[in-house]
Amino acid sequence: MKKANKLKFNFQAILTDLLIWIYISGCISFLLNRWFELAIPSLYILIYGAVVSVIVMICGISIGRKVFLPTKRTNNKWYKTFWGWTVVLILLITFIVGWILVEVNPYKFFTKFKNAGGIMSGIFDPNLDLLVVSLTALAETIYLALLATIFAIPFAFLLSFFAARNLMPKTLIGNTVYIIIRSFATVFRSIEAIVWAIIFSVWVGIGPFAGMLALMIHSIAALIKLYSEQIENIDPGPVEAIKATGANTLQIWVFGVVPQIISPFLAFTIYRWDINVRMATIVGFVGGGGIGLLLLQQQQLLRWHNVGMIIWLIAAVVWIMDMVSAKVREKLQGM
Amino acid sequence: MKNIIEIKNLHKIYAGGTHALKGIDLNVKEGEFCILLGLSGSGKTTLLRCLNRLIEPTSGDIQIDGEDVIAAKGQKLRFIRRKIGMIFQQFNLIKNLSSLTNVLTGKLGYSSLLHSLAFSKNKTDVEIALENLQRVGLKDLAEKKIKNLSGGQQQRVAIARALMQNPKVILADEPVASLDPATANSVMKYLGELNKKDKITIICSLHFLSLARKYGTRVVGLKDGEIVFDGTPKEIDKKRFKEIYGEDAEEVEIR
Ligand SMILES: Nc1ncnc2c1ncn2[C@@H]1O[C@H](COP(=O)(O)OP(=O)(O)OP(=O)(O)O)[C@@H](O)[C@H]1O
Ligand SMILES: [Mg+2]
Repeated sequence: MKKANKLKFNFQAILTDLLIWIYISGCISFLLNRWFELAIPSLYILIYGAVVSVIVMICGISIGRKVFLPTKRTNNKWYKTFWGWTVVLILLITFIVGWILVEVNPYKFFTKFKNAGGIMSGIFDPNLDLLVVSLTALAETIYLALLATIFAIPFAFLLSFFAARNLMPKTLIGNTVYIIIRSFATVFRSIEAIVWAIIFSVWVGIGPFAGMLALMIHSIAALIKLYSEQIENIDPGPVEAIKATGANTLQIWVFGVVPQIISPFLAFTIYRWDINVRMATIVGFVGGGGIGLLLLQQQQLLRWHNVGMIIWLIAAVVWIMDMVSAKVREKLQGM
Repeated sequence: MKNIIEIKNLHKIYAGGTHALKGIDLNVKEGEFCILLGLSGSGKTTLLRCLNRLIEPTSGDIQIDGEDVIAAKGQKLRFIRRKIGMIFQQFNLIKNLSSLTNVLTGKLGYSSLLHSLAFSKNKTDVEIALENLQRVGLKDLAEKKIKNLSGGQQQRVAIARALMQNPKVILADEPVASLDPATANSVMKYLGELNKKDKITIICSLHFLSLARKYGTRVVGLKDGEIVFDGTPKEIDKKRFKEIYGEDAEEVEIR
């Protein structure tokens, strides 16, 4: 093993142990606080964690060592090793802390069903008078999702070429462009559409336009990732063959790359529309308009029969979209 | 006959450190059908791809049709490339487009992007493409998608695509290695015809000596990135054969 590598692995091992033991001591003090109302200052939590991790590290029985550093192969079963029990401790303690934080309460689940009686009866007896109003809102949602997808396509399409490793030259400019677009896509995708909807509902006002903008931004980022990965998976042969005819870069992209990706692109886009219809409902809740907004209003008015109507419609649309998009994608596969 | 290709002291060292070409000196005369022989890994592909700069040579000098290939950049390089057709072992056609469209892509080096976007509407280009398909005996399959064609048919489409370039030189990298012997022979026949009738210079790497004897006017043997044989196909006897392929090699025949 090289010296630099050994140093790196040692560092990783120590860091891992430190984090693990600080986590364990943090969890324990949380439990002590909940159960015995003992308040342990956070500085002590850090110190306890650090001390334990140093001890196990010195004794050579830590997880970090096990994972990052070569250890002698021993035939010990996991339950005969210290790291094995550490893992058990972590899992157990995580489960207990999780149970408390999430306020898991099976008693409520089984005894308080009658609270949901209103909404249940609404679902089984939807208010058909609301059909026209809901259908209008639903149309708004579907078109909103459709436009968001359509507007996202050209941006994602163009940018995805610059986010494909195999098309970008391995020069400073090529790498920079690639990294910028990839990171842009990653960051924007990791921000949920619902957050974008909140931003845009302030920006352009509550309504379907805000919802469309939110979904569009999210779709651009998501499609860039899907598209560019597809481009990276193409057969490089035809691209080289086209290059060898003396074609310029744009011609190579148009004739060597595009024909190979067009049907997966279509499949992804339709899939995206499908997702957007589902997200459009949620986005409506925070000011994005459409059926989601209607659902929110009716729920706040406790009009359960109206809520039931809306839920049935949403379910039907999601089901139909799902089927249609699966069928179309299946057809595209064979092309 | 004048030299159409002049290679001087060509070296290629890959990023990993493999010294694939170790000072190749080779002149090819106009109208030659030059066969490259050599074991797997001897550098045949590397040499062919350096000639149209699909691979960047490390050092050396290449002149094709009087033009300096190594120094060429941008448009200059593209204009050199369009004079050089290339045939690949894996055909490298666009599978979900028709034969005709694939053949038309051979004209890309001669047109702008806008022009080429409309090329399926360009009467003269389409006529020439159909003629070229006719030459390889595939006119009836012009509208068929590539993925519905057999390997031999695909390679013939690739030849038609190369013809579309109006090439002075064709580089063929194991054009028949993935075809059965009979089909291989028929594909080689078309290359032979281009060489004889159209006077196109051909450099073609092969694995079969029998095909080399049948179609080649000259054979160049490569071994570990160096030329170890240069002569006519007739001159390859048992001894020469072992020089190229190593002591343990036996000749297998295909016809
Ligand atoms: N892209 C590459 N990167 C690094 N080394 C490579 C690359 N391509 C080829 N080589 C190496 O260069 C040497 C010559 O390879 P080349 O592909 O030119 O041989 P070849 O004669 O065409 O072989 P084959 O008959 O198998 O096609 C080999 O040692 C190979 O491993
Ligand atoms: Mg090869």
